[in-house]
Amino acid sequence: MNLNLITYSIYLLITVFIIIKVGLICYRNGNIFVAHLVPNDKDFCLRVNNILLLGYYLINIGYAVITLSDWTIVKSSSQMIESLSKNTAIIVCILAVLHYFNLFWITKFIKNIK
Amino acid sequence: METSKIFIGYIIYLPIAIALTYFVSKTLFRNGKTFMIDIFKGKDDIALATNRLFEVGFYLLNIGWALLILKVDSYRFNDTYQNLVEILSFKIGGFSIYLGLMLFLNMYLFFRGRKKSRQNKPVVSQVIRPQSPKV
Repeated sequence: MNLNLITYSIYLLITVFIIIKVGLICYRNGNIFVAHLVPNDKDFCLRVNNILLLGYYLINIGYAVITLSDWTIVKSSSQMIESLSKNTAIIVCILAVLHYFNLFWITKFIKNIK
Repeated sequence: METSKIFIGYIIYLPIAIALTYFVSKTLFRNGKTFMIDIFKGKDDIALATNRLFEVGFYLLNIGWALLILKVDSYRFNDTYQNLVEILSFKIGGFSIYLGLMLFLNMYLFFRGRKKSRQNKPVVSQVIRPQSPKV
């Protein structure tokens, strides 16, 4: 069987798992932050947070699928791990940078409100 | 057979890197809770949420870095187990030093946050009324 196809399926499994897991954690903990920012409207907070989560999923999974379009040709198992790790690393690092950026802004907003 | 030795190297490297990250972040953020509760005085829910979010960020950054430096250059690899051990030791040692630096960076952030939150204590406004002249 074509090694590239196996690589693609493993890659999609890993990245989608990471993206969904991180999104859920941020969603749950982010609820508390949004509730502090918009103090007395819980329903509104939940809706805002839901829309944010949806946008996050769309952007990240879209990016993950786009990277499939120019993948190097995989000929051996070590090449498979190399290309897998490289592409996963790029997406995970982007996530990390975005995440730290968000944390910075959120804590800033909360400090301003207090 | 060169590719298979490189493959063995990857199989050894990946679990070690991920386990290192896991243990470091577990220790750091189990103890980080105290700092966070100190920083957000008394607001436990926000403190715990911030702690969790920092933990996720730590995981993402370090596992991402571990995966980025994984590749072994096959042109420089001369197909002996000795070379494999040397390359692996360089990679794992380098990653461990990097983790240590990240750990200290996070500790510095914790300490700085605590210092800042102690500096701007809530100002107690004091109203001084002029005393009425004694007659």
